[in-house]
Amino acid sequence: MRVVVTVNMVGLNAYRRDSFQQPDVALAIVLVLVAWTAVATWLYSDRGRRTTPLLVADLAVALAAVAATPWVKSEGFDATIPGFWVIGPLLAWAVHWHWRGGLVAAALVAAADLVPRTDVDQGNYGNVFLVLVGGPVVGYLCASLQRMARERDAAERAAAAAQERTRLARAVHDGVLQVLALVQRRGAAAGGEWAELGRLAGEQERSLRSLIRQQDTVSAAAGGQVDLAGALEAMATAHPLRVEVATPGGTVPVDERVASETVAAVRACLDNVLVHVGPAATAWVLVQAAPDAITVSVRDDGPGIAAGRLEEAEAQGRLGVASSIRGRIADLGGTATVATGTWGTEWELTVPLA
Amino acid sequence: MVRVMVVDDHPMWRDAVERDLQAAGHQVVAVASNGREAMARFPAAAPQVVVLDLQLPDLSGVQITSMMLEHDPTARVLILSASGEQADVLDAIKAGATGYLVKSASSAELVEAVTRVADGDAVFTPGLAGLVLGEFRRVADGPGDDPRDQLTERETEILRMVATGMSYKQIASRLVLSHRTVQNHVQNTLRKLQMNNRVQLTRWAIAHGLDGDGDGD
Repeated sequence: MRVVVTVNMVGLNAYRRDSFQQPDVALAIVLVLVAWTAVATWLYSDRGRRTTPLLVADLAVALAAVAATPWVKSEGFDATIPGFWVIGPLLAWAVHWHWRGGLVAAALVAAADLVPRTDVDQGNYGNVFLVLVGGPVVGYLCASLQRMARERDAAERAAAAAQERTRLARAVHDGVLQVLALVQRRGAAAGGEWAELGRLAGEQERSLRSLIRQQDTVSAAAGGQVDLAGALEAMATAHPLRVEVATPGGTVPVDERVASETVAAVRACLDNVLVHVGPAATAWVLVQAAPDAITVSVRDDGPGIAAGRLEEAEAQGRLGVASSIRGRIADLGGTATVATGTWGTEWELTVPLA
Repeated sequence: MVRVMVVDDHPMWRDAVERDLQAAGHQVVAVASNGREAMARFPAAAPQVVVLDLQLPDLSGVQITSMMLEHDPTARVLILSASGEQADVLDAIKAGATGYLVKSASSAELVEAVTRVADGDAVFTPGLAGLVLGEFRRVADGPGDDPRDQLTERETEILRMVATGMSYKQIASRLVLSHRTVQNHVQNTLRKLQMNNRVQLTRWAIAHGLDGDGDGD
């Protein structure tokens, strides 16, 4: 940049050398500016040397060159000796002190340019105006760019830290899970009190495993949608029954209302198992997702519902849990069916997706 | 008696699994604590079944599974994993593992799984069945010209029952099928999954110009 405006300045002054009253002094000034350009470029190249004295000196050189113009050229001069060269120091100020620096430098340059002039024409005014507007604008842009760079660096650092935390968490979780599973296994083999300890370890192991799976999907939900698989997993972990949740892998994004109502219906199914089969029962929840509908199956390993009992209850208006399950799903425009046999009882809830 | 290799980086686990298998009359022909060791010992030990932990310090379970099966396609890989990282489990199964068990499974379950896998049976957990169903769903929802196989209605039905924790025996009685038929259906889903994986890899290779330009293959 500096080199370009320097070449421009040298070329223009060479072209206009006839307008100089004292060509020797003019040549000296141009040479000083060229030398200063070389020095300044070298000085600015190192971040540590971009100090206030350098910037002040830089601008002072430019101002001095501008101020010297009327003395070197005739009174009614047109262009200053440095000409566009002044934008080098001006931009340096703008970069360093942002819009304030740009404004101050621009004002000084404008003053140095205007004060010695006897008459100000359209062109002078235009140049000064551009300098006054350009300085602060470039300064402002620099500030924004620097802020954005800082923000990007911070975001990159945060992402890297989060990734590292996840990696560490995986390693830690894996270790804890291994030990919990081992305690559970050895405990069951040893029997007695150890078996109880093993059972407790097993519970913790299941909830930790479920927690990890939920964590994997937590950030994916967005735009008024929530992850049904994660929500069911969370509910099942908190439920007093032993529940195994099978998901299609990844998230199952559905509208918030569909998620909350479906989770409530599944909870009602599990509560039902708790009441009718007992706390020792195991339940399984399977989530399936098609583009147009989701299906959740809930099965328990109880003895099943005796033939005709459901119809009997329905006929007597004692629907209880069944109606709350059906009602919730019907409100979502879906269907809830129940099947039963020696293999237990299975609810199948299908909800269409809009 | 089954010749088994145990690959796990936790010594306590390795010993526990080894003890359980030996107590059940199986022969542990090799153990390894990381992927490199496993690959070095696998050819000489020639195990029928490899009990493989997914989380190893060096190679991934997927890499080890495909390397082992490339070397000896008759070997069977049973994944034994603590955390059940869903994507890893599914990838290992797609790469050719025929069984998956979480580490909290009891000794009896482990021994039974090893025997079944050695017999060529597929060992599914409900969680794995859910993942496999999800995978086929994604195939079905994909582009219409996808050459990958889809599940038959019967296979889907059976897989859903596996995913809700039903045993093959319960499924057989619920659907009035023989135990063997149910087994075959489950095995078929696994075969299709692995076949689809190969189709996908081949298509990817062709799309990226890696098919070796007619080298007589």
